[in-house]
Amino acid sequence: MRVAEMLRGGPTVGTRNLDRRTILKAAGASAATLGLAATTGCGGGSGSGNGTVTIRYSWWGAEERAKKINQSIALFEQKYPKIKVKTDFQTYDSFWEKFQTQAAGGNPPDVFQNAVTFLRKYDKRGILLDLKPQVEAGNLSLDHFRAGVTKVGEVDGKQLGIPVGSNTMSLVIDKKLFRKAGVEPRPGWTWDEYFKALKTIRDKTRVPGDTGYFTIMYLYDLYLRQNGKAFFTDDGLGFDQADLTEWWTDGLGRVRAGVVTDPKTVQQDKPKSSLSAGHGASEFTWDNFTVRYSAEGDSEYGLAPIPTTDGKHTGQYLASLMLSASARTSHPKEVAQFIDFMVHDPRVGTIMGYDRGILTSNEQFAAYKPADAVNKEIAQYEEDTAKAGVLGAITPHPSGADTIEAAFMRIGGDLGQGKSKVSDAVKQFFTEAEAAFQA
Amino acid sequence: MGNAVTLVKDSVPATRGARRAATARTGRPGRRRENLAGYLFMSPWIAGFLLLTAGPMIASLYFAFTDYNLFTSPKWVGLDNFTKMFDDPRWQKSVEVTAKYVVIGTPLKLLLALGVALLLAQSRRGQAFYRAAFYAPSLIGASVSVGFVWRSLFSDGAVVDRTQTFLGFHVGGWVGNADWVMYSLVALTVWQFGAPMVIFLAGLKQVPRELYEAAEMDGAGPFRRFWNITLPMISPVLFFNVLLETIHSFQIFGSAYVVSNTACGPADATLVYTCYLYQQGFKNAQMGFASAMAWMLLLAVALVTAVLFWSQKKWVHYEEDAR
Repeated sequence: MRVAEMLRGGPTVGTRNLDRRTILKAAGASAATLGLAATTGCGGGSGSGNGTVTIRYSWWGAEERAKKINQSIALFEQKYPKIKVKTDFQTYDSFWEKFQTQAAGGNPPDVFQNAVTFLRKYDKRGILLDLKPQVEAGNLSLDHFRAGVTKVGEVDGKQLGIPVGSNTMSLVIDKKLFRKAGVEPRPGWTWDEYFKALKTIRDKTRVPGDTGYFTIMYLYDLYLRQNGKAFFTDDGLGFDQADLTEWWTDGLGRVRAGVVTDPKTVQQDKPKSSLSAGHGASEFTWDNFTVRYSAEGDSEYGLAPIPTTDGKHTGQYLASLMLSASARTSHPKEVAQFIDFMVHDPRVGTIMGYDRGILTSNEQFAAYKPADAVNKEIAQYEEDTAKAGVLGAITPHPSGADTIEAAFMRIGGDLGQGKSKVSDAVKQFFTEAEAAFQA
Repeated sequence: MGNAVTLVKDSVPATRGARRAATARTGRPGRRRENLAGYLFMSPWIAGFLLLTAGPMIASLYFAFTDYNLFTSPKWVGLDNFTKMFDDPRWQKSVEVTAKYVVIGTPLKLLLALGVALLLAQSRRGQAFYRAAFYAPSLIGASVSVGFVWRSLFSDGAVVDRTQTFLGFHVGGWVGNADWVMYSLVALTVWQFGAPMVIFLAGLKQVPRELYEAAEMDGAGPFRRFWNITLPMISPVLFFNVLLETIHSFQIFGSAYVVSNTACGPADATLVYTCYLYQQGFKNAQMGFASAMAWMLLLAVALVTAVLFWSQKKWVHYEEDAR
């Protein structure tokens, strides 16, 4: 209201009553309000007198996934009327920021979506519940899973996550643009053929062929695997500065040549992908992302094989999204029952589809028959990849892998902006990776 | 800013009044009771201050000297975090980006605020409307939604891009361009010139008319009058605005975070200090380093404030000095 007085022209403030002391005070007050980082956590109890138990379930994803999950939970609560499930969800980045803070404050959700990148990190910090005892107690079944899939959730003999959907790194393409350019990806195609295809697409459709392959950690991992290395060893990086210098020099050259989307555009398209925004014809990502892109973009999206070095090996492996539980949950039994229901109940499989990847349990896999083109193609892709016998094994990434993935993308993208030299970018990445492993 | 305005207006009479009252009451019976009631009324504020400000500040001072990843207990490392800062290229970059923002943004904002205040100080019809209209951006400018609006205004093919292209120099969207994105943040802060403008306006209203009349008699033109009368007379207000806006600018976070879609990029072009602090603390779980950064910022702001206070002796004119 004071401002309003002044706006009306009332001369209430001025040189006459503004002396040194006032200014000092105001300045002091301003300096004191300077934000200093601090975190607080609050413990939350659950459970009430009549034997009803409430568990918290958090995941990352979008509205589409939320609808499906809420439907599944309704079924669960029907079967277990004494267990109530409270949910919340964020986007991927926000989810992990929030999770880290909650976990540090001793108040992580009872159940949450997890991925292989985070297993060791949060195991090291004692956040994850070993689900083995619950399996032995009969609250959660590890039977009837598709071959070998539960291995992904194992660290040092502990079962830290139960896979809900498995996915494979793939090349998602804008089918219309590929068709227009007359480019047809085939299994076992080489990097040379792939890059030639990008140029053809650019020349014929005026759209860059790829949205920035060289900043994607999981793709570089595949490339390294094709060459007998891997992105991570058990406790560090599996490649050296010379490897990365070569990879990024090559990538930068292709940005300059215009066959890869300008990082300026990629930056502006966020949070959309440049592929679904129509500014690139293909993108290396997880195969279940076609579900999201088909909802987000105007074109028709499909899956193509990963380019190879030797015409045979793609370096691909089966990754997965899982459900993990908090080691601090006061209801381990209910949590196990919930996970069991979510991964085994056939009705949940029908509801969820391949939104989080190919359903992992036999019951759900058998119950869901994809009807639409997008889901059918994901199923076909996974089947083809499995048949081709290219799938390798994946071990849980070392602690810090998540920070490193983000750094790889950021530093690679900055490089594409032409603001730094390749050698500096590579050095910066290795420094940050070192810090992340130690954190 | 609303707070600051209140402070200017109230603090002097309030503190003086309180002191006078306190002196008068000394020794009177029942004073202790009254004090107790006073403290009781203040207790929500005191509790809040201790729990939410003082406590965390002391904790962060301690963390600043430790290696602390939120999960394992902090390990004392002495001054390591502080020495590490100076070797960290991203920290250096964040200092550079913040300095650039402060040095470009603050003067532009104050110049515009003063310019518009000078125009609005003259009496004309619809004056209240204009003042309200120019003040409005200050009220909404800090919101996240305005950050989103800004992001779309300065993207490829949006208004700014098209206007620039029409005028003959094509840059493309500023948001994705490491060389230009900073100016979109500067534009956002300059646009919110309303708060310092209101303070300037109040200052201008206080300048005695007779000074101008006398100067006019002596044949001083508009520029002389501004330079020799207006500017010295409002110099305390100017000082106040410079101080507040500078301190504010150092703390920029929201606009950089939102306009860059939480990345503070591209190419770290909008990696303002607090944004790097946030990334280190909450993304990379380097809470010790982040705390050290926070205290470094406090020191830097204190230093700049001290320099400004020292400099005011040279250019700020207080009427009480003349008395």
